[in-house]
Amino acid sequence: MIKLENIEKYYANKGVKNYVLRHVTTQINKGEFVSIMGPSGAGKSTLLNIMGMLEEPTYGSYFFNEEDVTHLGERKKIELYRNHIGFVFQAYHLIDEMTVYENIEAPLLYKNVSSGERKSRIADLLDRFNIVAKKDLFPNQLSGGQQQLVGIARALAAQPAIILADEPTGNLQSVQAEEIMELFKKLNREDGITIVQVTHSEKNAGYGNRIITIEDGVIKEDLKIG
Amino acid sequence: MFKLNLKIALRNLWRNKSITAINIGGLAIALAAFLILMIYVTYETTFDKDNPNYNHIYLVGRKSSAFQTNFTPPSLSKEIKANFPEVEAAGTIKHNFFEFAINKDANTVFAKKHIFIEYEAAKILNIKPEHGLTQPAGDEFIFYLNKPYMETLFPGKKDDKPEMVSLGSKSAGHTGKISGVIQTDAHSNIDFDVLTVVKELGKGENYGYNNYFTYIQVKPGTDIALLTKKIEKMYRANTAKAFGEPDWKEINSVNVFLDPLKNLHLRPTAGTDTNYKVVLAISVLGLLMLVIACINFTNLSIAQAAKRAKEVGVKKVMGVFRYQLVFQFITEILIQCIVAGGVALILAELILPAFNSLFEINLNIWHNNTAIFWQLPAIIMGITLIAGIYPALVLSGFRPALVLKGNFQTSRQSYWLKNSLLVFQFAVAVIFIVGLFIINSQLKYMRTQDVGFKAEQVVAVKNMAFFTDPKVFEPVREKIMQIPGVKSVTVANAIPDGSKLGKNGYTAEGKKETLGFLDVDFDYFETLGISLKEGRFFNRAFKSDTVNSAILNESAVAKYGLVNPIGKTIRGCSMDYKIVGVIKDFKSEGFENAVEPTIYSLNNPCGNAKLEILIKIEAQQMSAALEGLKRQWSSINKLDGDHFRYQFLDELYGRLFKKQEQLQAIFFVAAMLTVFIAVLGLFAFAKYVTNARNKEIAVRKVLGATDLQILKLLNSSFFVIVLIANLLGWPLAYLLTKKWLETFAYRADMPVTPFVLSALITMGLSLLTVSIQASKSVKAKPVDALKYE
Repeated sequence: MIKLENIEKYYANKGVKNYVLRHVTTQINKGEFVSIMGPSGAGKSTLLNIMGMLEEPTYGSYFFNEEDVTHLGERKKIELYRNHIGFVFQAYHLIDEMTVYENIEAPLLYKNVSSGERKSRIADLLDRFNIVAKKDLFPNQLSGGQQQLVGIARALAAQPAIILADEPTGNLQSVQAEEIMELFKKLNREDGITIVQVTHSEKNAGYGNRIITIEDGVIKEDLKIG
Repeated sequence: MFKLNLKIALRNLWRNKSITAINIGGLAIALAAFLILMIYVTYETTFDKDNPNYNHIYLVGRKSSAFQTNFTPPSLSKEIKANFPEVEAAGTIKHNFFEFAINKDANTVFAKKHIFIEYEAAKILNIKPEHGLTQPAGDEFIFYLNKPYMETLFPGKKDDKPEMVSLGSKSAGHTGKISGVIQTDAHSNIDFDVLTVVKELGKGENYGYNNYFTYIQVKPGTDIALLTKKIEKMYRANTAKAFGEPDWKEINSVNVFLDPLKNLHLRPTAGTDTNYKVVLAISVLGLLMLVIACINFTNLSIAQAAKRAKEVGVKKVMGVFRYQLVFQFITEILIQCIVAGGVALILAELILPAFNSLFEINLNIWHNNTAIFWQLPAIIMGITLIAGIYPALVLSGFRPALVLKGNFQTSRQSYWLKNSLLVFQFAVAVIFIVGLFIINSQLKYMRTQDVGFKAEQVVAVKNMAFFTDPKVFEPVREKIMQIPGVKSVTVANAIPDGSKLGKNGYTAEGKKETLGFLDVDFDYFETLGISLKEGRFFNRAFKSDTVNSAILNESAVAKYGLVNPIGKTIRGCSMDYKIVGVIKDFKSEGFENAVEPTIYSLNNPCGNAKLEILIKIEAQQMSAALEGLKRQWSSINKLDGDHFRYQFLDELYGRLFKKQEQLQAIFFVAAMLTVFIAVLGLFAFAKYVTNARNKEIAVRKVLGATDLQILKLLNSSFFVIVLIANLLGWPLAYLLTKKWLETFAYRADMPVTPFVLSALITMGLSLLTVSIQASKSVKAKPVDALKYE
């Protein structure tokens, strides 16, 4: 599904190149649940951003579904966002002016999903995540865990093939974090959704089936588990 | 999706209520001001525009180095029509120069602006009596009244039959026939209340009788410059023919000009273009206010950007095109602009009555200007684009990778733009403040400066009896003098209320110059309290004074360069005058024009009829004296009539300041508004900047900075902005006000205080605004700002 070949990323500052990623070559297959681990500043988030096409690599090529997407135009990128990729953020990033229902509905609106279809999908998600009662509340009226549930529901609404999650439990207490990780595991097992997450926690990484460890921009270890 | 965006927009606006209110309020105020000014400018620039031949009508005038005048001889229009086929029609108008009463039974009205108009001129100028314009037969006079007069004289009149009235004094027994009602139009150069249509004016009068306005209508496509030359040639030839021994040098010094109808109201060739300049200044002012409001809007919208950054980032990773985001933000701004437009209409409606009374007109948003129905939406769309496109591009351009990381701060790069916009706003405010103070100082100068005569306690009496011969006036004077409180009485052909004097050529010591002439009676200078420089005033003890004595003013003496002028001879109007006195200059025409070199005499065969009676009355006995005059008027002045009507000279003279006072009022409001809007902008901007620096403030406090030090820190950048604005605003304000002051022949020196004051005011206001905003951040606990999200 994702194929990275010799990815490099550096920031030039006064002629000095600060490398964030060096010679990263890896492949992520459909149905995998990958955790990217490593110390702060190792380049985990940058790698995830490149996978999500939020940043472009300085060198190297990136294939998404066998297609070269290293340098992609806005139109094509947006098509991928709408149909194939879902994002989950550490700070949830729900839109404060929208209710829970509207937040989940937003990606469907941009995808031009019909109104009936939207209703049934959102109802399904609300039901699955047990947040039906909260649908008319605004994000600031929810706990962190609930906000992240909404964030995941929003990412799932467009029925993506892959979810990219940047420290999805980083702002959560451990009980809530466990719930979220269980949910990811279930989504991966039951719905076959590919998941790539960045995490600091060994415990969270244990929910997946593969751990990529990065140190100083280089892949140190690529471990299959479970 | 549109519905959702709309919902987000409204929720967003609601959540930032104070900033939204500042945004919409500022824009609404500026829009309201703009609307009113534009309605006014449209009104002023469209006089007679509904005339179907608007672009083909010209007024014929004459000018030389000494004068510009629209007064032409009566035969000119016929000669033009007969000789030049490109002239489609030509006709003359004559203004009646005295007021007269029209009586029917117990009802009386006064014809204040009576004009005589030739049938052909009436056709050119689109004059419309209620039942159509009919051609007068032979010497017939067709006499029309305006509607209010008709209703006063004939209340309840339903038919349109002609009516008989008596004219002037009832005892005089003049009668006239009223043919009907005529539509009057205040929005026209041809301003009248009573109108007489005749077939031909000025029969038997020839060149030299320059009492008529000549209007011509040319065929489309006529070369006006060529026609002007042709008319000039004919005019000069005919002038030469009319006078036995033509003075070719003088005849050739007179040029003919054709003044287009569209220029007559604001910038007539024979008149001042002050009104035009004021209208121009007002349009610029209106535009500037709108620009400032737009800048404010742009600035505040960008200032809000950080709050929307997350939304932009999230939407982008959901798969939203940038153009969709641009559209969304433009829509939000459009909503605000529409609300502002609505508020502006309400504001304009509320302000308009005050504006109308200041400018003595009757403007109405809905009636004068139906174009507003498309103009206002167009303006709103324009503002939306101007004020909205940049913020929309900035907001929609956020990169999700940066925005979604968490601690997003808008880049410092866009600061220079916001700062320069703020500088611009304050610079404009500085210009208005300086302008206002300088207008104030000039007006103060005009009010306190000695004008050379005393208009106080002088009453100008309306009169239609001719008192050109002092012998005729003497008995009237004696009767008036008997009324207790009356100090002196005189009669003249003009009063010092800004009216232009007649002009003629006079020769002294072999030098020929054009002088203004004023025909006066005994006690003229005494009544007006004018100072004598040398010689004497006119005096009954000198028999020759009623024959050929003359008094000059200082300017006239200077023009000839006369040394020891008393006793010298000055020749004009085919007679020799002996100079008996020289008076100090007095500003009869106000401060804009230099005092006219003038000759004063009792006997002037070339002069105009003396009609203007001036009476100086003791202040304490003013009301009693006026009462006495009113009671006895019909016996004092039999020829005038039964109605004693008067005006106070100081009020008449005070009207000369009216235009400048209007300008002052407009500037006062504009200065207040621009300062207000600039402060609003600063208020919101300071809020944004201090919020953005919350973390910095917290760190500094933890490092041991005192509250005062932090306040200083936050104020210093704004202080620099306002300082730069002052430095930029001053030279511009200096140049503009200097230009304005130069329109006055008599003016105050350019003062320094306005510049200092503008700096103090803008800096004081910015200090106050920023400190109010900053104090909140300063008082906040550092922990809250430093907590990691």
